[in-house]
Amino acid sequence: MDPTIKDFEAAIAELEAIVKKLEDGDLPLETSLELYERGVTLSRYCHGRLEAAERRIDVLNERGEARPAPAALGLDRDDEA
Amino acid sequence: MSRLPFDPPASAPLDPEELRRGKPETAASPPEGLRRDRPTTASRGPAVPHRDDPATPVAGGPAPRTAVARPAALTVAELSARLRGLLEETFTEVWVQGEISNGRLWNSGHFYFTLKDATAQIKGVVFRSALRYLKFKPEDGLSVIARGRISVYEAKGEYQLVCEHLEPQGLGALQLAFEQLKKQLAAEGLFSDDRKRPLPALPRRIGIVTSIDGAALRDIVRVLRRRYPNAHLVIAPTRVQGEGAAADIARALRLVARIDDVDVVIVGRGGGSLEDLWAFNEEVVARAIAACPVPVISAVGHETDVTIADFAADLRAPTPSAAAELVVRQKDEFAAHIRRLAHQLRGAVAGRLRRHETRLHALLARPGMAGFEGRLAWRARHLGELTAELRHHARGVTTRRQRRLDAARRALEQFDPRHRLARVRASLLVQDGRLHGAAGRGLHRAQARFRDAAARLEGLSPLAVLGRGYAVCWDATRTRIVRDAQTVAEGDAIRVTVERGEIRARVTNTGVPHDTI
Repeated sequence: MDPTIKDFEAAIAELEAIVKKLEDGDLPLETSLELYERGVTLSRYCHGRLEAAERRIDVLNERGEARPAPAALGLDRDDEA
Repeated sequence: MSRLPFDPPASAPLDPEELRRGKPETAASPPEGLRRDRPTTASRGPAVPHRDDPATPVAGGPAPRTAVARPAALTVAELSARLRGLLEETFTEVWVQGEISNGRLWNSGHFYFTLKDATAQIKGVVFRSALRYLKFKPEDGLSVIARGRISVYEAKGEYQLVCEHLEPQGLGALQLAFEQLKKQLAAEGLFSDDRKRPLPALPRRIGIVTSIDGAALRDIVRVLRRRYPNAHLVIAPTRVQGEGAAADIARALRLVARIDDVDVVIVGRGGGSLEDLWAFNEEVVARAIAACPVPVISAVGHETDVTIADFAADLRAPTPSAAAELVVRQKDEFAAHIRRLAHQLRGAVAGRLRRHETRLHALLARPGMAGFEGRLAWRARHLGELTAELRHHARGVTTRRQRRLDAARRALEQFDPRHRLARVRASLLVQDGRLHGAAGRGLHRAQARFRDAAARLEGLSPLAVLGRGYAVCWDATRTRIVRDAQTVAEGDAIRVTVERGEIRARVTNTGVPHDTI
């Protein structure tokens, strides 16, 4: 992803700050366009992050390696029922 | 379990007077004979008098006895052996109440101390093997009931209480252990607020340290699935109660924190008795939580259960389900928030762009700009003529001349306003369309074009100067624009392009100062 975006929190915080600046400040056109473009990048990143996580349950084995949870555990059953 | 009373002696136990005096006071105690016969009486009978001190009468005490035949003297070793036998066989299990003092944990792992009350004391030890099972730490000043046996150390003529177990008085042992560890870790700063880390707003993977078949895990999974359906969970199974559970929990915490992208961990279990939850009160768990590289949410038992793990964690959840609620905001909330922000963002910029657009239209409508396009068209036509003329002139001249002319023509073509005009028009059209659909995702591209268009428009504005009465002065062959009066001489032919048409002229004076124009 974009190396200038640290993480989800940072992205949301920056996006909020940009919106506030654009709405409050009487910025030069150049600046506001730059901010806008940054804002679009950020909101895409955030949206991407929301969808990025993979619906999945892993269980660590003895050696600490992640393996998909055995269906026999029935962990995912509740919400599907 | 027999419980032998072991009343404290009034003073040094080997003083026979004390013995005699003590007897009547404690006469009601059943194993009386065993209590006070330690000193010099080699025989096992309870009433044998002190033979070395036959004549000392004590008021209220038993009648003094006269000396009888002296029995064979015992060696110290023999006496000690007898004492040892007597004491160790009699006090195989005794419960003693007292206060710990002079406690010291030796390198051997054994805890030596003195158990005392207001008037007496006895040496005691808790061997490492027994110490291991004490939940709390024995320490000076602590009031305890010790369970153990008496052991005699013949080489030194000492006896001591070998404790199998210590039970603190007042608080229960577990409660005491809890308070002790809490105090110790708090003093180390392990619970301090500035150690608490904020949870990630949107965890990439959520680590869960709990029993694989416990209700807690099911609760957590159910809640997370509802709030954040595509969450990625990584479960580190562990025992959560019984011997070794604490070490297992600590191990699972370390393992799960090593998994890529796990950026928050829930550790806990469902409700149970204080003993069931005990592992979460152990130091090793508290330290593993504190050492965890990512924030930890503790979720042990029910709302009312508070454990050491809760203090060490970055956040305490009252229950496992609550931990799942705390670990991630509802995904829908996030999505809505981001949508709202994006909408505000577009709104703010589109508003700005509309204002600029209005200004631009106003500028184009002003008198200086009116007819601008018409003038551009005329200018284009005229440039076409100039080009044709250049070609005409170029024919038949030398190659060097030809090159110069070509260069000049290329230079001129760069000024061709038709190209610029077309670009400006296209940009404006695109811009217009895009602006109206400002919410579209291509908006920022349209804005970039808008910016270009505005910039170019400014660049073009000098072309309007002819319309405002300015003129362009060329040399006689129209290959060069005269920018400097010193590049022409008196008598040279020049051509002057004005808004409509061209003037052929001759230089009469080149020495006129600039500011008189």
